[in-house]
Amino acid sequence: MWSLAKKLLLHDRLRFAVAIAGVSVSVMLVLVQVGLYFGFMDTASSLIDASHADLWVGKAGNESFEFASPFDERAFYKVASVRGVERTERVLMNFAQFKLADGGDLGVQIVGIETTPGRVPLLAPWRVVAGDLNRLGEAGAIIVDKSEYPKLKIDRVGHTTEITGVRAQVVALTQGIRSFTTSPIVFADMRSARSFMPGLGDNAVTYVLVKVAPGESVAAVKARINALPHLAAYTTSEMSKRTRAYWSSRTGVGAGFFTTAVLGVIVGFVVVGQILYSGTLQYIREYGTLKAMGARNSMVVRVIVAQALISAAIGFVVGGALAFGMQAAMAKANLSVALFPSLYAATLVVTIAMCSLAALLSIVKVLRLDPASVFKG
Amino acid sequence: MEAAFALTDTLPGIARAPATLARLVGIGKVYGTGANEVAALTDATLEIRAGEVTLIEGPSGSGKTTLISILGLLLKPTAGEVWIEERNVAGLSERNLPPLRARNFGFVFQGFNLFPALTALDNVAIAIQMKDPRAKDPRGEARRLLALVGLADRSHHLPADLSGGQKQRVAIARALGGDPPILIGDEPTAALDTKTALSVMELLRELATVQRRAVVVVTHDPRLERFADRVVHVEDGRIQ
Repeated sequence: MWSLAKKLLLHDRLRFAVAIAGVSVSVMLVLVQVGLYFGFMDTASSLIDASHADLWVGKAGNESFEFASPFDERAFYKVASVRGVERTERVLMNFAQFKLADGGDLGVQIVGIETTPGRVPLLAPWRVVAGDLNRLGEAGAIIVDKSEYPKLKIDRVGHTTEITGVRAQVVALTQGIRSFTTSPIVFADMRSARSFMPGLGDNAVTYVLVKVAPGESVAAVKARINALPHLAAYTTSEMSKRTRAYWSSRTGVGAGFFTTAVLGVIVGFVVVGQILYSGTLQYIREYGTLKAMGARNSMVVRVIVAQALISAAIGFVVGGALAFGMQAAMAKANLSVALFPSLYAATLVVTIAMCSLAALLSIVKVLRLDPASVFKG
Repeated sequence: MEAAFALTDTLPGIARAPATLARLVGIGKVYGTGANEVAALTDATLEIRAGEVTLIEGPSGSGKTTLISILGLLLKPTAGEVWIEERNVAGLSERNLPPLRARNFGFVFQGFNLFPALTALDNVAIAIQMKDPRAKDPRGEARRLLALVGLADRSHHLPADLSGGQKQRVAIARALGGDPPILIGDEPTAALDTKTALSVMELLRELATVQRRAVVVVTHDPRLERFADRVVHVEDGRIQ
């Protein structure tokens, strides 16, 4: 069956090329759109996912990770004193104005973290590619991402600027840490961060990161913290999911990307369906002849399904490669397309289902084909 | 000139075949209902015997195609009996008919109906495989059948590279796939020039004589009568 299916497909090479193009574009669209979605979601939760904390504690009622309201530092001490808490660290997040080299300003997202010499913070810049992370504790020291160079109009470690009128100096660079809000992330020590955001006061904290003591239950500690007034604790995993869900639903980005992916599947479905159907019509007398001579419907249907599966397999390989190329091209535009084995596997299943369903019309045509029709005309 | 035939083989299934391979008794076929009812065949009785070439002649619309469609189990009669393998199969459902067709019939058509994408060998082999998915060596059998019809040296040619006569020989080889005792031809020579038509008819004649197959051919061409053991005239749905 496979040999017959292959020969029937390849006999009209132009039509076969159109079918493969249809499947390939469909596969590429699905992979790139879903990959972009996951890439954005990875970006949205990257700070949380990179932390070593067991729990994130914020002000109750906060919906957005980035736009969270700060609370008074006294709450930090309350959390630190909860039974089962081994270690706590403050995080201060808000937006500030970054002075550009050409005199303009750019809104940046300040992430103030605790830097204690000799101790690895629960949240710290990662993928540091230049400069010295240990200098972050210096007054006014900041760490930015290399990919934000063009936006920030800087070109080297050591660049000096002002954030909300306060002197700041780039002491290190990271690679690939970006914000979903499109405002560049600027890491700073807590003291520097507070100086960059004077409006928040000297005692503001946005999150308290908690490391649970060995042997203690994370869920139990979380419950104890949640019992404190005006605070809400989430495990790191919960916080990550919550943030992804917020951006996915509030911005409609999820629906947007998945709608495009579905449109891709529909395009592939229509193209493959049309190609298979026209191919079936082209060979309808031959199929009828086989049926007349005793071929069972199932045998003829297998030939059509085999054609669909061959189109799916080749289209998937081509589309997968195209998506890989798109990923590289989009990376240059600072867009992250998250392609991973399970996404490829899921897309392969979708492609096979799409091509098999596209073959349905042809299958119905063959099933309804009256073998006696070969004697007519 | 077509290659010489190689009809020296005898097929084991044929040797055991009864003299009467198929029998139509009192066949009637009505199309449509009520005011639109048309009787295509009325009380048609026909016996198909091994080793005989039967020509079915008649004007267009006389019921020839309906007759061979019913004989070939492609169409159900509205009345009468169809005896194949010594049983009346007229009432069998479509689900049960493919194996009966595969065992008993090979078809040859005016338009050849060969897959243009497949070589002569593949066209024959795929039919053998479709008829019997458990066939042991369909390609080997296809080679043997192509040699039988004088096309051993054309087995790797596509239909587009074959003459009309050669295409019809491929179609005959395909019809012989699965070793059916009855070959049914629907105007198999109509698309061929006189010389080629006679050559194809000679081949069918030899298949009947040498291999004891029953050959039933619908035709308008009276020149083919010399190859026939019997000529059946159908007119207005009745066998004359």
